[in-house]
Amino acid sequence: EDALLPAPQNISILSTNMKHFLTWSPVIVQGETVRYSVEFQGEYEREYTNESWLPIPECSLIPGTVCDISEDISAPVAYSLRVRAHSGARRSPWGAMQGLFNRSTTSLTPPLMKVIADGYHLLVELEDMGPAFQFCVLYWKKGQERRVQQKVVTEVRSAAHLDTMEAGADYCVRAQTYVEVINKSSSFSQTQCVRAQGDKSMWL
Amino acid sequence: GACRVSMSMTEIRAGFTAIKANIQARDPIRTLSILSHPHSLHKVKSSDRCCITHHLFNFYVDKVFKHCKTEDSYVNRKISSIANSFLSVRRKLGHCHEQNQCICGQESTEKLKQILANYEGLNVTSAAMKSLGELDILLDWMEKSH
Amino acid sequence: SGELCCSLLNPRNVRFESINMKNVLHWSAPEGTSNGVLYKVKYSVYGVGKWIRKPECRNINRTWCDLSNETSDYEEQYYASVKAFLNGMFSEWVETTRFNPLTDTKIDPPMVSVSSTEKSISIILTAPEKWKRTPEEESVSLLQVYPGLQYNVSVLNKKTKKRWFFSISNHTLVVPWLQPGTAYCVSAQIHVTTPLLDSGFSKEHCIATLKDK
Repeated sequence: EDALLPAPQNISILSTNMKHFLTWSPVIVQGETVRYSVEFQGEYEREYTNESWLPIPECSLIPGTVCDISEDISAPVAYSLRVRAHSGARRSPWGAMQGLFNRSTTSLTPPLMKVIADGYHLLVELEDMGPAFQFCVLYWKKGQERRVQQKVVTEVRSAAHLDTMEAGADYCVRAQTYVEVINKSSSFSQTQCVRAQGDKSMWL
Repeated sequence: GACRVSMSMTEIRAGFTAIKANIQARDPIRTLSILSHPHSLHKVKSSDRCCITHHLFNFYVDKVFKHCKTEDSYVNRKISSIANSFLSVRRKLGHCHEQNQCICGQESTEKLKQILANYEGLNVTSAAMKSLGELDILLDWMEKSH
Repeated sequence: SGELCCSLLNPRNVRFESINMKNVLHWSAPEGTSNGVLYKVKYSVYGVGKWIRKPECRNINRTWCDLSNETSDYEEQYYASVKAFLNGMFSEWVETTRFNPLTDTKIDPPMVSVSSTEKSISIILTAPEKWKRTPEEESVSLLQVYPGLQYNVSVLNKKTKKRWFFSISNHTLVVPWLQPGTAYCVSAQIHVTTPLLDSGFSKEHCIATLKDK
């Protein structure tokens, strides 16, 4: 009787900025509510515990077709994922994701960034993307593109101080995200430029 | 010998901290330690560190994690996270070992023998759970000495 | 836990409270008892076979016992236990969870000292010291215990209300090119990545840059 309920299909992972979502196509059964359960398996489980699977309680008997698996994809190894459908007392066979998933394949986006000139001080406000994220910030004085400075910013609670600026000069900044656990960076953000306070008298 | 291996200590620590109280509460034996008595890891010579680290990762991957299944799904998921991280590091340490950069001296061999004797002195589940509860002893030593 | 008729209810919430590795055992009195209860304390080094009594905490009526001296080796881990007495009745021994001084301590904020010139402020940060037995004993900075220790420094311009953030590894920071005659407030926090330990932020130290000559 169980076999009548088809296994979920098109199981895949959408992964951006270390947030990994498992998705699948819905199983349609006329007049019935179908629910789904998800399990994962790391390389350790495949090699050392007879290919055992671990359930994800947050995605047990859920009505939707998306599951946030970020919390469990938490080691630098390849993971397998599977989903099955439930309808009443009936359960489908497991539908397995094609291939394995390694978190290093996540796509990283450049950070949202706001550059501030506060007097002679160059600062940057960066979005909080989570504890795994650092930011590589490049800055230079306009016209001196060959003398780029770099700073790694890990704390994003408020404006991070980059450097002091020469009076009246324009400074440009761009940044990329860096995730140490996968040793991977995003592309750079758009460049933003600001001008330092122009009080020339400071330099006499 | 020297052996530079990148690993995310922060992730492993976070995983262990999340289940430390739960795991250590399952170990009623106060009078025996797998890793730290009678000989402390902190007394290991620097030249033996790579060997001890390599063999301890083997110990945890081959002997410990698979005997630590609990009735608690959250705990099991955290153990899986740690086990998979250890598996990844163990592989890198293995490469060092193969390139002869991780030589075992007399002292480390004795130390490892002692650890296995401590482990085999208990039934496998108790030994595995105690070893898992002592993960911070290993992590503290690794951070302090590396 | 014990029945009321032959023995005393147990002390509750037996735990270590540790700041800068000053490790003090704390507990709450057995439920329903007000005063007159006495306690005794013992501790053990994890992995070593015996419990050791703490004479200074024998028949005490307070609900804490300083075990810093006995737990000062932070390469070891410890258990402690408390027993309560009242009118000939006594409770069971109640234990702490396993205590790891290195990861289970809390860290005080750093000491902050600030000086200023016309256009800059200089900040000197000092990490707290590990608890020591006597003032004469050699000081050990927590910087030595946690080599990866960093400082997060917040500088607030009281005029513009803008706050700047610095993450630094060394203990000094000079912020140049400031506005003369302006008040700046500095506070700092200690951040250790692994094991993950963050102090609170220190109280703010405010100073004004000198006025333009």
